[in-house]
Order: sequence, then structure tokens, then C-alpha cells
Amino acid sequence: MMQIDDDRLMAYADGELDAAEREAVKQALAEDPGLREKLAEQQRLRATLSGHYGPVAAEEVPDRLLAVLGARNTRDDVASLSAAREKRRRPLWRNLGTIAASLAVGLMAGQLIPLQRGGPIGVEEGALVAQGGLAEALDTQLASAQAPDAATRIGVSFADRQGRFCRSFDSADLAGLACQQGGNWRVVMTAPSEASNAAQYRQAGSSIVLAAAQEMMAGAPLDAEAERAAMAAGWKESGTLRD
Amino acid sequence: METPVQAFERELLTLLPRLRRFARSLARDAADADDLCQVALERALKAKDQWQAGTRLDAWMYRITRNCWIDEVRARTRRAQTFAPEEAGHGVGVAGDAEIRAEMHDVDRAMGALPDEQREVIALVLVEGLAYKEAAEILDIPMGTLTSRLTRGRQALVRRLEAA
Repeated sequence: MMQIDDDRLMAYADGELDAAEREAVKQALAEDPGLREKLAEQQRLRATLSGHYGPVAAEEVPDRLLAVLGARNTRDDVASLSAAREKRRRPLWRNLGTIAASLAVGLMAGQLIPLQRGGPIGVEEGALVAQGGLAEALDTQLASAQAPDAATRIGVSFADRQGRFCRSFDSADLAGLACQQGGNWRVVMTAPSEASNAAQYRQAGSSIVLAAAQEMMAGAPLDAEAERAAMAAGWKESGTLRD
Repeated sequence: METPVQAFERELLTLLPRLRRFARSLARDAADADDLCQVALERALKAKDQWQAGTRLDAWMYRITRNCWIDEVRARTRRAQTFAPEEAGHGVGVAGDAEIRAEMHDVDRAMGALPDEQREVIALVLVEGLAYKEAAEILDIPMGTLTSRLTRGRQALVRRLEAA
């Protein structure tokens, strides 16, 4: 039987081995209960760490940090949103479901998105679904490793409460959120793109998408590794993938 | 039109949730962690000319955040060395520390007990989910050093957490 040292076992747990090395470790694991227990120990450790630190990434970012980046002032420019927000003194994202929905309806019904072949969004069985380049970006682009000049940028990937994988996107035409369901990316909301010319909407657009994402998220956003795993599994229901 | 500078800041904005998580795993409590984020953001804004567009901003920010943390740790060590005899005489520092420790979560305590060089490796690989190569580049250490620190850090964490 092949000896598997700790470094190698941990590299296996971290997905750092090539196919042949992985096979060797798998074989050793099958034969050695002690090694299996060591691996389980490491998986528990990873789960403990993600469970403890993961939620930090889903917390609302404190104003003082936003202020460093000048985002505090820009946000205040979005008069009606922030006024309502300040009044209620509720977390940023609590009220935004409704606002996001009405914005999406306005944009869908109005000027921006042509629902036709070749556009980023089409209709399938009565639902709005991503198509073409947008669908491809949602399928294949990792938020943690995307080309700086990519036509569509993926923001955050997460599992929603129904166990679907959802991802936020931003392209030249529009920004929004899409969730994988039955092989399609259902577009659950849209907002003006970051690149849109309508300056007064731009900031609202990005914060609304982020806020809606936080609203829908079950737990923390996927980290780079979980994102890779979800993509490798074809974005099938998250329940089976996440511990 | 948006200027490149605004784009830089917007990009930082989208990184903030991850930076806060990274900072939390380095620092011992939430307030310290957000202080660390703030210092790192300020340093990044000052140094933004040094960031090369097209390279990964997240890696650059992890590196800055980590360097800010190391600076802070060194400064604290110096302060502690300067004031240690006096504090030891009063016993204040020691009691205060013990109190804080008692309120800490097991995970924070276990992470806090690691040497910095192990904690930062654990934070990048196990919390942030970076590949070994990415983490080694951020920390500017060879792969072998990274894997051995990672293994030792993990073993120490497992011992502490499974005993807790």
C-alpha cells in the first residue's frame, strides 16, 4: 500500500492533486480507515471554519468602510432609496425586494431590454431566461478568475433558500440576478447596468442587485472553491453539494 | 463616463465582503478586523498607481491587508515590550486579556493561538478558498513552505477544536 503523508492528504482535501495523484490517494483511503478518519477530521475543520467566518462576507459592510471608498456619498445621491432607508433605519437590503421588483418591471416593460433572439434574455415557458453570451458567462465564468475585459462580469455566486444556485451579473446592457433552474438561468431581477449612461440609476442598480442577492442568499456566498465545485457539477441544486 | 479611478474604487467595493472575512480570520475580533480593513483600504487608495490594471485586484488587496496586519502585530509587540514591566507590576494587562479570551469563540481562540505565519496560510486557503499557488504568491513564499505551514496549522487547529 502506498504511503500517504499529511501534506499529500491535505492537498487531496483541497483539490490540489492531479488526476493520477488523486486516484492513488483514493485507493489508499479505501484501504486505510485511519487515513479516512484523518480526512474526515480535515473536512470537519473546513466546515467549522466556513461556518464561523463565512457569514462575515454576508454581513452589511459598515458605513465607515464604505466612506473610505466614497461610496457613502454616492449612495446618498440616490435620493428616494436612501431617504427611505435612513428613515426606517433598517439594514440596507431589507426593503429592496419590492424596489428591485418594481425597477425590474419598469425596465422590462420599457426601453432597455429587447426580448428577442440574440438578446441577453429570452422567454421560455413563460419565464425570463438568460441566453447567448449571458447564459454562457453564467455557465462558465468564475467570479474569482475572470478576464478584465469580459463582456459580462459575474459578481457573487450563492445558493438561495430553494437550493438553487444564483449568480449576479453585470454587462453592457444590464445587471441582474439569475438562478439555475431546470437547465436554464432564470433571470429573477434586472437593474440598470454599471455601464449604463443613466448616472442616477447606476449606483442604485449595483446596490440593488447586491442587496437582492443578500436577501435571497441562504448562508454565505460561495467562495472560490465552492464556486469551482458548483460549476463542475453543472450548477445542479446546491443541497447535494454543500455540507 | 466613468473614470478608471472610480472603476478601481467600485471594484474594491465589491471585494469588501471578502476582505472583511479575511480580516476577521486574521484579527482577534470584529472591531479589530474592520480597523484592519479600513487601514488596508486607505493604503490601497494611496498606492493605487502601483496596481496594474488587468492583474487580480483581490490578490493585491489580500496582500495589502496581510501586510497591514503584520505591521500592526509588530507595533503591538514593540508596545508590549516597552510597557511590559510596568503592566506586569499592576497585573492589569494580564487580567484584561484573560477576560477577552473567555468571551471569544472557540474558533477565534484556536486561530488566535496559531503563529501568524500559519494563521495567514489557513485564512487564505481554508477560509478564502484560494489555490495553493495563489496563496503562495500573495505571501511571497515557496510552495513547500506554504504546504508545511498549512499542514502544521491544520493539525494545531484540529487538536484545539476537537479537544474543546
